[in-house]
Amino acid sequence: MQARNIMITGASRGIGKTLAEHFLAMGDTVIGVSRSESDIVADNYHHFLADVAEEADAKHVFASVKKQLGALDVLINNAGIARMNAFALTPINNVQEIMNTNFMGTFIFCQKAINLLRKSPNGRIINLSTVAVPLNLAGEAAYAASKSAVETLTHIMAKELGSFGITCNAIGPSPIATQLISGVGEDKINKLIQQQAIKKMAKVEDVTNIVDFYLQPSSHMVTGQILYLGGIS
Amino acid sequence: MDLPTVKLTVIGALELSNQSRSDETQIPLTDSTALFGQNGHLDSMALVALLMDIEDALQEQDIEVSLSDEKAMSLSRSPFKDIPSITQYIHDVIAAQA
Repeated sequence: MQARNIMITGASRGIGKTLAEHFLAMGDTVIGVSRSESDIVADNYHHFLADVAEEADAKHVFASVKKQLGALDVLINNAGIARMNAFALTPINNVQEIMNTNFMGTFIFCQKAINLLRKSPNGRIINLSTVAVPLNLAGEAAYAASKSAVETLTHIMAKELGSFGITCNAIGPSPIATQLISGVGEDKINKLIQQQAIKKMAKVEDVTNIVDFYLQPSSHMVTGQILYLGGIS
Repeated sequence: MDLPTVKLTVIGALELSNQSRSDETQIPLTDSTALFGQNGHLDSMALVALLMDIEDALQEQDIEVSLSDEKAMSLSRSPFKDIPSITQYIHDVIAAQA
């Protein structure tokens, strides 16, 4: 398979970092984006310090990618934040922060990426959602709503970008032991897992597997889909 | 940026569009060619692609503009009707930003 240029937001840790290492091992060039430094060291790894919710940061990232690499095949919008709280007690600034990173960040990066992606023979956008959307999880109103917005964006972009040969899909991971859910109690996680068809914790590799499927050139007819782990629907 | 230079940028972007079009759907690069709207050669997504190519070409000349704002889309006389109207519109947007 020909080496691809793959941009991953939130690449400094968790799922984003695992995906970056996975693609580097496959010989792809990875452009990592995050607010913090990365400890990934590889010739074909480029890291940008950026806040995905800031349009000026995004402009800088894409102008640099265009200048340095000239092409982009894949954008994976993985950057995200979660704050669990009862709806009635959620501080409004937390809601804004969550919406800015999870939804606005995804919107901005998708928009800036189109011009490079449409020149790729297999342009792909993959957004990260969550099972908190179909499960309507109590205590995750802001987080689930932000990801619900990401899902709607995914469906609409799929329609609008189809004529450019870009597919746009999302993945909704069930609980995975990453920093994102490190503050969530074990009881709550177990209760959530009991709602799944496959009642066990997922691994980052389960996400990698779906990403690989979406990225295959033969997946060119797969777009506008949200794939949840664990049998949630 | 003067009008003739803007026009060259528009024509360059249209030439790019033509590269991905079949012989039967080539866009004639003349002032009277209808681009968008009645009998236009571009559907809405082809117009989006053209505007992105123009923005891209302008960016390479260090000019950052957004050509597809709500106002432009809702003007009673579409600025995207033909090459002269797009050229004039882009020229005005750049001038207003300067």
